[in-house]
Amino acid sequence: MLTIYKNELKTNLKSLLIWVLCVGGMGFACILLFADLADSMKGMAESFASMGAFSDAFGMNQLSIATLSGFYATEIGTIHTLGGAMFAAICSICMLSKEEDGHTSEFLFSLPVSRVQVVTAKWLTITTLILLFNLLCVLFYLTGISMLGEEIALKEFCLYHTLQFVMHLELAAICFTMSACMKKNRFGMGLGVVLFLYAYDLISKITPNLSDYKLLSPFSFANASDIFSTGKSDIAALILGGSILLGCICITLLLYKKRDLAA
Amino acid sequence: MNKVIEINHLTKNYGKHRGVSDVSFSVNEGEIFGFLGPNGAGKSTTIRSMLGFIHFESGNIHLLGKNIQTDLQTILKDIGYMPSETMFYPTMKVKDIIQMAADIRQKDCQAEAQMLCERLQIDTGKKISDLSLGNRKKVSIVCAMQHKPRLFIFDEPTSGLDPLMQNEFFKLIQEYVHNGATCMLSTHILPEVKKYCNRVAIMKDGKLQCVTSADDVLIEEPSLEDYFMHFYMN
Repeated sequence: MLTIYKNELKTNLKSLLIWVLCVGGMGFACILLFADLADSMKGMAESFASMGAFSDAFGMNQLSIATLSGFYATEIGTIHTLGGAMFAAICSICMLSKEEDGHTSEFLFSLPVSRVQVVTAKWLTITTLILLFNLLCVLFYLTGISMLGEEIALKEFCLYHTLQFVMHLELAAICFTMSACMKKNRFGMGLGVVLFLYAYDLISKITPNLSDYKLLSPFSFANASDIFSTGKSDIAALILGGSILLGCICITLLLYKKRDLAA
Repeated sequence: MNKVIEINHLTKNYGKHRGVSDVSFSVNEGEIFGFLGPNGAGKSTTIRSMLGFIHFESGNIHLLGKNIQTDLQTILKDIGYMPSETMFYPTMKVKDIIQMAADIRQKDCQAEAQMLCERLQIDTGKKISDLSLGNRKKVSIVCAMQHKPRLFIFDEPTSGLDPLMQNEFFKLIQEYVHNGATCMLSTHILPEVKKYCNRVAIMKDGKLQCVTSADDVLIEEPSLEDYFMHFYMN
């Protein structure tokens, strides 16, 4: 199992670095831009906060983008949330299906390794990659903040990034289950799931009829503007998210154990 | 004589499509057993059922005296399998693939792997994506043989190999069989069966037509080719 884990980690290392450089680098650059934009932001903050549904959707009604915490929650938060979610989806959507797509399943499963061990090793790889992605991005953001010489609400910062990690894991688990059912790599399907759930999250914030169901989206419990403005998360959504995560892994194990492998 | 492969009433369908139906045969220890049949006859389905890649509807399979439905991992430790379509992770180097197979088997196969690479003339520093089909086949042979298994299962092993390497491959099989291993060889190439196999099984339309010794075939018909055609023309 350890051999498969190490091999997968090595294979995905380049992709991890590219995503960290893109998402973390973009966040880092945006934080540095805050120094130049701070003055002009003061004027814009009020108008951004009173743009009705748009302000509600992006949380600008709760926080002022003229402060670093507000700017971080609305701008960097969006970049990190979407970038991380896409990375998690791309990593996991082909993690199992690539063995059949690349015709390597016969090589792997002719070795004395069970399907449960393969699923476990691959899920551990995904967890490690997402953890590293989040840690390295946070390192970029903290470097930017320290270069700026500003302070950010540390408790909210830690809570937000912990919940982002859980949210990325939940999205990865959904895509991992899909991967167990597919014989071909379908990156587009993974990205589609992320964008659909993100759009659902935005719509549920501004549509009163959907407000009770917004917890269905993984993005709801790791919302930066909610966390930075209230210092807490939606616990019901977090419990539901955790349950979906665990449920998806169990379903993946059952599905992958039972299915016939393509040649 | 010990039965290394024992298949009883194996039936597997792919939805409405036929796979194999009521296949039963056994292979004795120390044999080189030929498994013949045209494309779609059910040879690969039988092999894939034996290795647990696919789940079958009914019947049972015992390899090395153990049931594959309960002891698959233990059985796979003593099996060397070479698929007809030999694909590996394209970004990895040959030596890493060979090492990965040994690591998963938790065996030190370095000496045997080195001997096999020398005899098959494999450049272990090359990337898998840079290899031709024939060279990928050679890597697959090393992965199947380096741990000195008790049972070899080869699915069309020589397609893509040049005649010199085909000869070297059969020499290796004979050496391992001489040391107590058993070999099941699924192939289309009748001269290979005629030259190396003790017994043959012939499949047609998902059903086993016969299991017979290669010598008996040659008594009944002037050549194995004629014997083989006799089944397919009827």
